[in-house]
Amino acid sequence: MNKVSKLLLAITFAFSITSSAFAVTAVSWGGAYTNSQKLGYGDPTAEKLGIPINWVDYSGGLSEIKAQKEAGAITWDIIDVYAMDTIIGCDEGLFIEFDFDKDFGPAPDGTPASEDFFAPMPSKCAVGNILYSWNYAYNTEKIGSKSPTTIKDFFDTKKFPGKRGIYTGALTNLEIALAADGMKPGKGGANIYKALNTKEGVERAMNKIKALCEDPNGGCHFWSAGAKPPELLISGEVVMTTGWNGRFFGAQMDGAPLAQVWDGQGLDYQYMVVVKDGPNPADTMKVIREMMSTEGLAGSAKHIAYAPFRKSSLDVIAKGEPWYKDGKTNMLPEMPTSGANTKNYFLVDAVYWADNGTELGEKWEAMKAGLK
Amino acid sequence: MSIEIKQILTTDGIPLEKSLKKAERINKIKAFLLVVPLLLFLLITYIVPIGELFTRSVDDKMITSMLPTTFKAMKNWDGQELPSEEIFASFMSDYKVLVEKKEQGKLGQRLNKEKNGFNSILKKLLRQMKNFEEGNYKEQMLTVHERFGDVKYWQAIKRTAPPYTIAKYLKAVDMYTDENGDIVKVEENRRVYVKLWIRTLEVAFFVTLFCFLMGYPIAHLLATMPMKYSNLLMICVLLPFWTSLLVRTASWMILLQQQGMVNDLLVLIGLVSDNNRPELMYNKVGTYVAMSQILLPFMVLPLYSVMKTVSPSLMRAGKSLGGTPFVSFWKIYFPLTTSGIGAGSLLVFILAVGYYITPELVGGASGTLISNQIAYHMKKTLDWSFASAMGLMLLSGVMAIYWIYNKLVGIDNIKLG
Repeated sequence: MNKVSKLLLAITFAFSITSSAFAVTAVSWGGAYTNSQKLGYGDPTAEKLGIPINWVDYSGGLSEIKAQKEAGAITWDIIDVYAMDTIIGCDEGLFIEFDFDKDFGPAPDGTPASEDFFAPMPSKCAVGNILYSWNYAYNTEKIGSKSPTTIKDFFDTKKFPGKRGIYTGALTNLEIALAADGMKPGKGGANIYKALNTKEGVERAMNKIKALCEDPNGGCHFWSAGAKPPELLISGEVVMTTGWNGRFFGAQMDGAPLAQVWDGQGLDYQYMVVVKDGPNPADTMKVIREMMSTEGLAGSAKHIAYAPFRKSSLDVIAKGEPWYKDGKTNMLPEMPTSGANTKNYFLVDAVYWADNGTELGEKWEAMKAGLK
Repeated sequence: MSIEIKQILTTDGIPLEKSLKKAERINKIKAFLLVVPLLLFLLITYIVPIGELFTRSVDDKMITSMLPTTFKAMKNWDGQELPSEEIFASFMSDYKVLVEKKEQGKLGQRLNKEKNGFNSILKKLLRQMKNFEEGNYKEQMLTVHERFGDVKYWQAIKRTAPPYTIAKYLKAVDMYTDENGDIVKVEENRRVYVKLWIRTLEVAFFVTLFCFLMGYPIAHLLATMPMKYSNLLMICVLLPFWTSLLVRTASWMILLQQQGMVNDLLVLIGLVSDNNRPELMYNKVGTYVAMSQILLPFMVLPLYSVMKTVSPSLMRAGKSLGGTPFVSFWKIYFPLTTSGIGAGSLLVFILAVGYYITPELVGGASGTLISNQIAYHMKKTLDWSFASAMGLMLLSGVMAIYWIYNKLVGIDNIKLG
């Protein structure tokens, strides 16, 4: 070996050391949610592995990462995405595919990762992070003498006159419309999606929403940011609104007089993906393994009422109750997966939405544009 | 008899004509070099991106290169009945190549945009194709999913065959090409874009109108008041102009919501009852109020600069010739300010056509404009070619308005200051 190649070797070695000290960039939705991830498993992982983790906020969708890839300058390593986006991104070749039992550690009792996860992944690129709920809530101080208890009450403008807050897109609205129209969701919502696979079913759901929005005693307020539903309730702008249970819980902990209704809730998953050809591949895999471990996922539930994706994490929480960071609130009853909350629910079907999202989106917008 | 023209030479013996041309050429090059940075800037930041936008909106080459044998086999297929075994087999052979290259996902995404429900049956095919036997692919694919037996899915593939397409432009006006090659409207409950185009123009038009109605008197006051008052008024116009758009939109939300300050005031003075507060926001009213306020300075400033140049003695002359104040205003003052009105209206209209954050925040269900749809397809569906097509249509719409304005009023008459 001559001197030059030795020098080159030394330089590459030095470079590899410095580059491994670069931070891993994790991208998520911001607010209380990113905070729960950062405090729950981000910071402990960074400390344990000695790899700094940068948290960056985004507003969802894959346009940024697609643009980064097309420009050949990828700066993100890990992204927190919707189920539907894991499917699209995996198809477009934006994310790496996992080998679950190899890439993720087993549960403390030795159960392999793939069996410890709450549900199968929608694509090979996705690793489950949390389960959250699309439920609805109302303001206990403004609701009056009667309180809503079922999903039917959400659509009952005679009993509960006033505006309703509704998500701005078709996602989950069609499902709750059918559930409120008297359809039994069936196991995991199978009946609902069977109906939504037919033209008549979609029409029935759209008409139900349309009737609510055009009802002079009702009316719709469309929200898009997750922080909006609690705010609408507190200001009294709407009488009840759908939303994400973690946001409602957060507002309750801050002292807002809100109550959640779990009947007809839609259970949805949130996933992490690893970007293909990201800036820091080796460290990224280490980081995601550590963050998605049993303790890691349980940690995030200390800060937000979303259920960890591993069954074994629930045992950790059960042993550690009261688990919430204030040291006095039990977290298990607040989980969207708890028995009391899943008496009547459906699982949001990511494959259905990945397939039909565009067409339903058009129909939904056409319905909205035609509202009186 | 011929007269020999003697060339005039310069001192160094070169014909004068030539030498003059040379000197001029150098001057021309120098002048050109001065504008080169500007030209380059325009080219890089304007012309190239718009060209890129255009190619994206019509380019459909990716799928043409993905299914070469299928499209070849489909040439003789009339598109009416379910295709023959040959087409099924060639589709399978193309698909296998894609699976080897791990590009089958892109195909699924692309075809799903053409016909919803395509992606999942292709995924099912991917899982089951390892058990396929050689030959008789049609029957085997039909067992994977019944949708492979639906001729609409094969028509969708055939539609994607040409490397360039205007389908995205058709989609933006709620139309598509059917299997006979005719351009027809999409089904009733999917028609949304025409409605949104009309709504976008409507909002832009009314905002321009409101800005004009409010801006004209303000500009007139500004131009005619004594300096110390007009300066104060000018600050009142400019201060909101310097405030962030989002801050202004958010403040309108605080003011206008049903439990907001305006409604509180109305209840307080007894104009409306507490349980019957009017909706001032999350409908068109909110959009018009917030957008008119935000865009008002763009109307006031050009008007002001034009009015400043109108001499007050003209109005006095009009009055002394016997005109009532209104007649002298209408016959003298107003015509002199039309160039400012043109400039202001054009500015406000063009800005309003492209607005989307404000209407989305304060407009409720009626706040979805065409720009919101562009953002939606950029961010959520990743259908960038559709977003590009709509973006270009918006741009050409603005160009058309500019052209009409030029024909009617003349662009030279525009005065911005």
